[in-house]
Amino acid sequence: MEGKGAMKINIDHTKCSGCKLCEVACSLNHTGAVNVQRSRIRVFIGEEFCLPVIARNYKAVCDSKGDMVMYNGHEVDECVVCRASCPVKSVFKELDGKTPLKCDFCRGDPQCVRWCPTGALTLVGGR
Amino acid sequence: MGLCGWKGKILRVDLTRGKIGEEDLSDDLMLNYIGGRIAGNKILLDEMDPMVDPLGPDNKLIFATGPLTGTGVPAGGRFIAVSKSPLTGGIANPCCGGYFGANLKYAGYDFLIIEGKSPEPAYLSIVNDQVTIKPAEHLWGKWATETENAIRAELSDSKDAWGRNTPSVLLIGPAGENLVSFASIMSDGGRALGRSGLGAVMGSKNLKAIGVKGTGEVRIADVKGFQKAIIDFIGEARETGQLENRSKWGTWDLIGRAQKTGTLCSLNFKEGDFDGFKPYEDPATIRDKIRVRDEACFGCPFRCGKRSTIFDPAYPGTAKGPEHETLGLFGSNCGVADLDEIWKANYLCNELGMDTITGGATISCAMELYELGYLTGKTIGYPLNFGNGTAILELLKKTAFRKDFGDQLADGGYAVAERAGHPELFMGVKKQGFPAWHPQGRFPGLEVIGLQYATSPVGASHTKSVMTFHSQSDDLTPLVAWTKHYQDYVSIVDAGVLCWIIYHGPMWEDKASSWLELVTGVSYSQDKLMMIGEKNWNMERLFNLAAGLSSEDDGLPQRMLTEAPPRGGRVVDLPPLLEEYHRIRGWDNKGVPKPEKLEELGLSEWKVKVQ
Repeated sequence: MEGKGAMKINIDHTKCSGCKLCEVACSLNHTGAVNVQRSRIRVFIGEEFCLPVIARNYKAVCDSKGDMVMYNGHEVDECVVCRASCPVKSVFKELDGKTPLKCDFCRGDPQCVRWCPTGALTLVGGR
Repeated sequence: MGLCGWKGKILRVDLTRGKIGEEDLSDDLMLNYIGGRIAGNKILLDEMDPMVDPLGPDNKLIFATGPLTGTGVPAGGRFIAVSKSPLTGGIANPCCGGYFGANLKYAGYDFLIIEGKSPEPAYLSIVNDQVTIKPAEHLWGKWATETENAIRAELSDSKDAWGRNTPSVLLIGPAGENLVSFASIMSDGGRALGRSGLGAVMGSKNLKAIGVKGTGEVRIADVKGFQKAIIDFIGEARETGQLENRSKWGTWDLIGRAQKTGTLCSLNFKEGDFDGFKPYEDPATIRDKIRVRDEACFGCPFRCGKRSTIFDPAYPGTAKGPEHETLGLFGSNCGVADLDEIWKANYLCNELGMDTITGGATISCAMELYELGYLTGKTIGYPLNFGNGTAILELLKKTAFRKDFGDQLADGGYAVAERAGHPELFMGVKKQGFPAWHPQGRFPGLEVIGLQYATSPVGASHTKSVMTFHSQSDDLTPLVAWTKHYQDYVSIVDAGVLCWIIYHGPMWEDKASSWLELVTGVSYSQDKLMMIGEKNWNMERLFNLAAGLSSEDDGLPQRMLTEAPPRGGRVVDLPPLLEEYHRIRGWDNKGVPKPEKLEELGLSEWKVKVQ
């Protein structure tokens, strides 16, 4: 549960440059090799902005209608801002295409936050 | 357990026969040629006759990553293309950022070798080991962004937006299709394999694009050490101010430095500074006016890429750039001070797929020919005075489609000047245009830039050694040694593949060997690396000699050697510089590596071939 005082990673997408070092950091820490497909954080590279998204819980049914939604002044596909791992999405799943991935905060020291060179990711609470 | 870092695989595609195959990388290639530019050169030298027609089916186009590509090594996300250049007739090895290199590794390959010629327009789809040649009739003629989006959609098996976001695309625009001699290969929203005209090589093979994505991993030899080294590197870059400086300005802070030292190309290199660029000596002027956001290549903390727009409905969307080179070549060198005009030229070159450097050099050359009366307005179709930004934009479009006078421009500035009877007015080396740095700066030592252009194997280039900015003495001997040292060192940077912009110069020079060791587990001494770098430089020389180039092609335009810019600057006294250069390289006075040098570097088999 993400109650008061719980660990949280804040995302300021205006600072994200799309370098994907967070994806490298995450996959390296969880798999022992660089494999961004297995990262629990993914960065969407848009023309006007980049958006890091961190995997949350698995959802068996996708209730998105594929609409475009407004996100901080940018029009973006609803599926991009959704944090769920789901049967439709091509990210947040193991290489078998099924097993969902979910952020575990690297047991209290999220490597994506440590590596992020721009300040787009910051840790709130927990430490 | 094999070596970490490398994937150990070559993907070879024969477009003539539609044949696709995988090969293992030899240990020799990995350990002794590392990857990128050096391993790519080695493959080209081993497999291809340097005399082939660069636009014929026998030319090969090699896309080469290095052991560091896709690992997250800071400023290590780049890749190289190696081929024979249709512009210079010599070796070509431009470097590019973005995500393509990383994605090629994740698909499972260190190198992609393209051979032959497709009978029909085609594109290559690489999804892990599922590699297919697909028809591209529907994409032929399309501009860069439209092509990229189409390939992204076609490579995506799922319907979600993430699926379209994952692949990387390499493509040519209309310029490459129409064999413009300075056509570029574009990638991932405005990154470019800009120089040497390799877009035309792709065009000659009827290959419109390459899309790649993969789910594979890259293994790291020392994971704990690697994690620490990266966090330390970013911390160091932050503390020294490098991170903020480079991220904020990209290359825009170089305008002021070039103006002050008289090293800014201006009016086809007649001058070394430009009054119209006074406002841009403060880079904030540029940033505030056009920048949308800062973009990084894969794994790079520095984000020097600048996505920009001019908010003009006639030019919808954004472009990457213009960086220092484009500002110089389409700005000061064409006498254009209006940032909007320069931006539009940059936008058109990105979308049509042309090198902004040789593109700008070609048009500025035509401008001088026009002002001197060697080309008429009737021939060109416009009164092409310096400063005529509107004509530049029209001519760029005509060049990409080889229409009217654009058909001449498409052959490059040297051809235009030669046809007009004045080849000496094209400012370049080996028919490739000078970059934005003027070799006739106001301070002693800056003329070594001229030596670097003259001796670069790919024609005039600013990325094959390291510029000198500080010299107190008229004795240039140490700077010739500097030039040689950094030519060899940059070869290593390009083999990693690390980014020349970040790793050039003495700062972080020792990092190449430490990154290689952390990632691959192979320990390279600095001496060993420099030997590999020197070997590479000699391999490129041997390729060029065997391709028919000679020391006669190592010259500079007459103006550089005889006339100083009117507002101050130095004449480049090239012959003594070349003599000293040949001496320390172990080359004879014709620039041919001596047999003992070839022996020392393990290149003896080439003794006969270059006689």
